[in-house]
Amino acid sequence: MVKSFPWRIVALIIGGIFIYAGVIKAMDPVGFANDIDNYKILPWTIGVRLAFYLPWLEILCGLAVILGLLYRGGLLILTALVSIFIAASVISKVRGLDITCGCFGHASKYLSFFGHLLLDLAIFAGLIGLSISNRAQQSQL
Amino acid sequence: MSAVRQALLLIALALVPAIGEAIYFRNRVSWQSPIPASELVTVEQAQSWGDNVIWVDARPAEEFDRDHIPGAISLNEDSWNELLPQFLGQWSPEKRVVVYCSAQSCNASREVAKRLRDEAQLKNVFVLDSGWEGWLKLNR
Repeated sequence: MVKSFPWRIVALIIGGIFIYAGVIKAMDPVGFANDIDNYKILPWTIGVRLAFYLPWLEILCGLAVILGLLYRGGLLILTALVSIFIAASVISKVRGLDITCGCFGHASKYLSFFGHLLLDLAIFAGLIGLSISNRAQQSQL
Repeated sequence: MSAVRQALLLIALALVPAIGEAIYFRNRVSWQSPIPASELVTVEQAQSWGDNVIWVDARPAEEFDRDHIPGAISLNEDSWNELLPQFLGQWSPEKRVVVYCSAQSCNASREVAKRLRDEAQLKNVFVLDSGWEGWLKLNR
């Protein structure tokens, strides 16, 4: 876990965002399943199962990043998830699908595509920063 | 522990609450299709119901103003509170409600149909499977 104060704040913010996003989606898994389905990338039978699973993965990884338990694993998963969200959003935009990402449940519909993209890119940058700073800290020990 | 092992552990741990929630919701989720087949209608089916149908346009107001199914009522989530009384004024229990949005890929019709069932406690609410695009293809 990173020990420097600024990076602890970044970890708190990013972990908090994922816990918030996970809780909102875990409270409405059917709504989230519909959001996944809108991307038209996965068949419903897989999407609906992911809708029950992904929110809990986000919550656990968010907690891992905040608490520093299984920290690197949490960072790895969250970085992979954000990369997938970004790729899926861009692909859907290119395919002309006018959809909300569903990242924050129904609150997502108030964010534009570019708003989402910017937020996802900022989170991605934060996650990469946390990984680099953690690695630098490990190499100093 | 390596990062990959930590990640695998988190992936496994997340299965526990996810499976628990899936069991809790098992009878309230359609596991095979996004909308249960019984709640989905084709344009032909809906048209065969004749005057016994209330068409509900779940698209944004600008799209509704541009064009819509003749006789359709606009009811979207953005102006839900303003438009719902207008819809309920035309609704009657013997009528079937068919909600549509722009195309098969859109979500608004599902959301509006869900709210009509859950919040307004209406029965006989259906979603038009191919949406406005599907209706256009058959009728214009």
